[in-house]
Amino acid sequence: MKRRDFIKTTVGAGVGCGFIPMQSLFARQAAGMTMYDKIWEAHEISYLGGVTSVLHVDRMMLPDNGPAAIKRLLDAGETIRNPELVWAVADHQVSTSPERYTNRSLNLGSVADDFPEMKEQLAAMGIQAFGIDDPEQGIQHVVGPETGLTLPGMLMVAGDSHTCTHGAVGCVSWGGETAQNVLLTGTVIRERARNLRVNYTGALGPWVRGKDMILHTIGALGADAGNRCAVEYAGPLVRSLSVEGRMTICNLSIEMGAATGMVAPDDTTYEYVASREFAPRGELWDQALAYWRSLPSDNDAAFYRDETIDMTDVEPQVTWGISPEHVIGISERIPAPDDAPFEKRDAWRRALEYTKLTPGDTIADTPIDEVFIGSCAESRISDLRAAAEVVRGRRVAPNVLAWVIAGSQPVKRQAETEGLDRIFRDAGFDWREPGCSKCYGSNGDLVAQGKRCVSNSNRNYVGRQGIDAITHLVSTPMAAAAAIAGRIVDVRRLMAGEIV
Amino acid sequence: MAEEPAALGNGPQFIRQEGIAAPLMMDNVDTDIISPIGKPPNPGATPETRAFEPIRFFADGREKPDFILNQEGFRRSSIILAGKNFGTGSSRSVAVSRPLAGGINVVIAESFGPLFYDNSVRQGLLAVPLEGDKIERIAEWAFANRGQTILVDLQRQVIEVPGLDTFEFRVEPRVREKLLGGFTVREELSRLDEEINVFAQSYRQSWPWIYRR
Repeated sequence: MKRRDFIKTTVGAGVGCGFIPMQSLFARQAAGMTMYDKIWEAHEISYLGGVTSVLHVDRMMLPDNGPAAIKRLLDAGETIRNPELVWAVADHQVSTSPERYTNRSLNLGSVADDFPEMKEQLAAMGIQAFGIDDPEQGIQHVVGPETGLTLPGMLMVAGDSHTCTHGAVGCVSWGGETAQNVLLTGTVIRERARNLRVNYTGALGPWVRGKDMILHTIGALGADAGNRCAVEYAGPLVRSLSVEGRMTICNLSIEMGAATGMVAPDDTTYEYVASREFAPRGELWDQALAYWRSLPSDNDAAFYRDETIDMTDVEPQVTWGISPEHVIGISERIPAPDDAPFEKRDAWRRALEYTKLTPGDTIADTPIDEVFIGSCAESRISDLRAAAEVVRGRRVAPNVLAWVIAGSQPVKRQAETEGLDRIFRDAGFDWREPGCSKCYGSNGDLVAQGKRCVSNSNRNYVGRQGIDAITHLVSTPMAAAAAIAGRIVDVRRLMAGEIV
Repeated sequence: MAEEPAALGNGPQFIRQEGIAAPLMMDNVDTDIISPIGKPPNPGATPETRAFEPIRFFADGREKPDFILNQEGFRRSSIILAGKNFGTGSSRSVAVSRPLAGGINVVIAESFGPLFYDNSVRQGLLAVPLEGDKIERIAEWAFANRGQTILVDLQRQVIEVPGLDTFEFRVEPRVREKLLGGFTVREELSRLDEEINVFAQSYRQSWPWIYRR
């Protein structure tokens, strides 16, 4: 039976990782195709029944243990299929201390040595690898798009959950894959997701940006809204964002429970991609571009679900709980569990117990201990510029430990060229080396036990940033403002001089 | 009872699980709750009790009495009942291997985080999607019948709750085949080796710009 026939005729209970009435799956046969479906079908090698297929991988991205994993396979006499489609970068296990280059034991395991030791061997196979000494090292979800290793139309996979970030350049990308399986077969087995489109309308107010769009969306739709869905972010507001802003939105797709997130490529995308080191040139560029232009969802494409998020009057967002869906505007009050939908009351109670907040209080003016600016959510040059604009001429509040971590070496160099590092340092921020750091407490970069951290990252789970650490997710300028004020504040008020 | 099929592959096999079902009726149980990483283990944890550390133990290692697996009748549970979006969060494989090490072989939930779900298929923990009201009924039964077991049968795709009901569920045909046969992902893919080769060759012709300059 052909796949589409199967899909048409299969009616039944839930399949896959969520309960879905089967008849509602793929109600699209007669209509045009979504971008996700186009890219899926271009990579489909074999259909395995249900909604599962074997797919061809265009890019496999490996983290810190990449070289070691490859070495193990080669030593065992295995063959890497499509090695020129594989690349690796050290990010999770690296130290972000400036001393990491000289005191190499600061880096976890053997990550600081594996990349240099394997460099020639990997290069001979066509595998690009960036260790801590390489000028392109950084967080994988910053490095991929920045180098042009991530391109529109690709199927891009990795182990790391925030691989969905790359969808911002118009590709399909997801984490959770095992290095060995992909290295040996060049393929993945996956269940096809449903198409969810989130349309943004309205306009962004001052100091409201991509991070606020996605946090507000998760708050409005729920942390499980994307379950078994591939999310396409659309609408004029998304079009008006830079590719970096789109990356922030796609980055938190996994926090919405989605299989992946993406933005259709447009001229903004092509302009972003064109100058990148590994982007195609000349005839290949023309060929690629022609294909990329065919990727956006057809006008008559049917989406399983269509949501509209109106950004009019949406304020800078801040989380108060232990799920990204626990989010409010900066001038709002901490909600009471009794006001929650019935099924969420217990969760809200547990969340408030953990974050030690009182319903009815304003979220603004909550005193804080630490500020973290970094992570694959927002650590690109436009993010650092926004933070520096807030910090310029101001000082970090006493007793607040504040870090800025550029997402990659190129971002760091660019920031230093622009003098942003001086602005941060003069204000009392630590200016550290690229890596994942306190976003998830990697390599000892932890929020101190029980302390409250304002973070521009993507997860505020219990203990995520450190034991009993409390995380408030915000945008980068909001994190910068909190560092200055020593408490959660409205960046708009700080910039208007209403908060000293 | 049906005869146990022998494992055909070298991967984890799952055929059925008869065991105590522990209601952990929360939504969004994330991977940092299931298996924190990058932090020292809780002083009270053993290799069998490392799953759910942040809700299982206080920081000083004492058990939290309200956690279901710390309660009488539920300590030996092998099945977890949960709400929506179980395992949301990171791709870490320990989010599945630590529950497995503690004897948890099945999670029945309304929906699953996508990466937890993929890990469960890989490692042989059965993730069963079921409607919320049915899970509620099983949870109520479990509280009323502490220490009694239910049966989760992947061959027949049913959950049998004695004296309550039999609930049908569906997993992807590929997942069922993989777990019943005990295949690794590589073994699944090795059957398709030729097909993959042919595809990869024509793909290289059609999409040269994918291959790096």
